[in-house]
Amino acid sequence: MGASGASPLEVLAQKAGREFPHLFAARKRTASGLAARSQRLQGLSHSPDASVVLMGSWGRAEVTAGSDDDFMLLVHGVERDAVEPSVAAVGGVLDSSPGTQGIFGVPVFSDRLVHDIGLDQDDNSNLTRRMLFLLESAPVTGAEAYRAVREEILDRYVDDSVKAYRPPRFLLNDVVRYWRTICVDFAGKEHESPKKWGLRNAKLRTSRKILFAGGLLPALECFRFDLGEIRDYLEGQLDLVPTDRIAQCFLVHNAVEPGARTFGAYDEFIGRMNDKEFREDLGKVDRDNCANSSAFADVQRIGHELQDGLLALLYETRTLPQVVRDYAIF
Amino acid sequence: MADQRGDWLRQIKMAWEVSPFAIELSALSEPELPSLASFLASGPSLPFRYISIHGPSKDLQGDEEKLVAELAGLAPYANAIVMHPDTIEEPALFQVLGHKLLLENMDSRKELGRTRQELEPLFAELPDAGFCFDVPHSWSVDPTMEIAGELLEGLGARLRHVHLSSLSEDLHHVPLTVEHEALFRPTLERCLDVPWIFEAPPRGLA
Repeated sequence: MGASGASPLEVLAQKAGREFPHLFAARKRTASGLAARSQRLQGLSHSPDASVVLMGSWGRAEVTAGSDDDFMLLVHGVERDAVEPSVAAVGGVLDSSPGTQGIFGVPVFSDRLVHDIGLDQDDNSNLTRRMLFLLESAPVTGAEAYRAVREEILDRYVDDSVKAYRPPRFLLNDVVRYWRTICVDFAGKEHESPKKWGLRNAKLRTSRKILFAGGLLPALECFRFDLGEIRDYLEGQLDLVPTDRIAQCFLVHNAVEPGARTFGAYDEFIGRMNDKEFREDLGKVDRDNCANSSAFADVQRIGHELQDGLLALLYETRTLPQVVRDYAIF
Repeated sequence: MADQRGDWLRQIKMAWEVSPFAIELSALSEPELPSLASFLASGPSLPFRYISIHGPSKDLQGDEEKLVAELAGLAPYANAIVMHPDTIEEPALFQVLGHKLLLENMDSRKELGRTRQELEPLFAELPDAGFCFDVPHSWSVDPTMEIAGELLEGLGARLRHVHLSSLSEDLHHVPLTVEHEALFRPTLERCLDVPWIFEAPPRGLA
């Protein structure tokens, strides 16, 4: 938040004279939706160490008419059999069940998220759960358990290897690894089936990129802080939604106008995704017919504008390019 | 770069020497459009990530519907089609170009399209159109660069790319001078996220 209590995106909008109506409407939709779901879930008995966490667009505060209630039943502790509520019970209360990939179809125990980082035990599912939890999630119940798990994960990343005025490489590498995993899995999914290629492609160009930048930028930005400040800075960043983390970075690096164009493009995307007809059009797009889709052409244009803004922030501002050069590739 | 008009391979070679990132293919007179259409339809493999086409501002044949149809035929090959506002008679005809149409600010010789106030009515009729910011054109209107600032304040949300060069005394594009580079720098720093197209060979390649 800025000194006035305004969020970084609001400050950026004000400085640039822009409105971002779809992004701010989505924030309102998200807040009211979270409150409603929290109330509904109060009726379920909860283990004291359990938290129902909404993921994806809920964690980015970008809920649109097409958003699913993708949730994680998080448990602070080691694996056990009895957990309240059950995944099925939560699914019965929320508007839709967890995604078909199944990574949220079972309770997620923090022990694995915190301690199984790297090596064979950190499989695709564990990495995905950890990164989505860290970068785009919102607790609906059990906020204390949620916060405790996040602190333990941060403690793992911000360990003795971290140096003052340098990005924490462990965290940075894991965030970059996750982004590359998403990209590789995109190709893997296409190899399995061309269905939903257009929607997946659109998300890769936009909301997935926001997710990645929302982790990459805070990690890189640690170059501005002394050793004792880095953990607090990261925790503060994770209290923000990804668009606020990115907006703050544009503000810090005095790139208000490129930032405004970046969010102008993303605002258009969020607005379009709130339109059923547009989502249905994208749902019919595959690699073979994409050249004939006006919806996909719009997504390509929006994706380019979004990426060009982020690249300008990373490579064309005064101080960040040196950090990117030194840390982002090797 | 007038000597390269209509020679698409030469324009591409010249642009490639500056950057493999962006190119603007200039069909500055309407009779050049069929040749450009044939060239692009032949499916050349181009390295550029951003392809702009500068639409005609000379030798206009007077049939605007035909002109727009020709431009629409080129649109699938390009990210942007740049037009001079003073050449547009019926803006509604150009709506078919959607987001690909960019309107460029004009130099001091022209009687419209030079300032934010002169451009905004046209953008109101073409709400999807983007803005091609010709920095030296704005300098020719106001060497203090205040007009340049006003253009970015008013039309920055639409900005898609920048035209960069210096101007000769008769307002033709010439290589960017050291003095103009310094003068334009604060303005250009507000445009870091969009392609910069050199409308004259940069120093060293001139």
